Amino acid sequence: MEDETFDPDLIHAIFKHIWTKRSLERERNGGNDALDSELAGAGTSKKNRPTSANAHALKLSCELLRVFIAEAVGRAATIAEAEGVSKIEATHLERILPQLLLDF
Amino acid sequence: MEGDGNEIDAERYEEDESVTDILRDRFRLSTISIAETQAKKHGMQISEPIIACISELAFKYTAHLAKDLELFAQHANRKCVNTEDVILAAHRNEHVASTLRSFYDDLKAKEPQSERKRKKASKNKDKATTSAVHFPDL
Repeated sequence: MEDETFDPDLIHAIFKHIWTKRSLERERNGGNDALDSELAGAGTSKKNRPTSANAHALKLSCELLRVFIAEAVGRAATIAEAEGVSKIEATHLERILPQLLLDF
Repeated sequence: MEGDGNEIDAERYEEDESVTDILRDRFRLSTISIAETQAKKHGMQISEPIIACISELAFKYTAHLAKDLELFAQHANRKCVNTEDVILAAHRNEHVASTLRSFYDDLKAKEPQSERKRKKASKNKDKATTSAVHFPDL
């Protein structure tokens, strides 16, 4: 946990970017989008404001992403070790990828 | 309407792409340092293209995560994503979820400024989850 991790500001920037994009899309589609129209009764101006996140939530997201990468490298390293090589190659990543994606 | 819309869309799309590229590059820099620290821990070398792959993977995962978090918050009639949403997003693997939960507990322990909020949060959490999480301050 004291290792390298992501900068919460960077993750916030990425989230904000996606949320703004989605709220713009929602604005353009009006109430037509079936997936996002569950809150249609709450009033359109409120509904179209982009989502925000609190500081702890961002730190947790950073940790989640750090664990994702640590797991990817760790599992690939185990496979590489079993094969007796000291460099992680594409084949090792390929081997662990399905289970990794199922776990996250 | 179609013509105008398409022009504005195209402009917006280009701008959008450049912002995404900058974010992706910054994301990759962080990924490189994390991946290299991890590889060193395992006594392994890791080739550059693999890190790039993992970074791309994680970036896409981040995009999915953002969408999930937004939907979770909306479902709870909130406009602000909170820690419960993030823990819920990691529900696919119990180990990941419990890792996040203990990470959150550590965070709370480090900044004990709002006692009432914490108690409320942990009460909610006790109700929401069945797994055994120990709160020594309750």
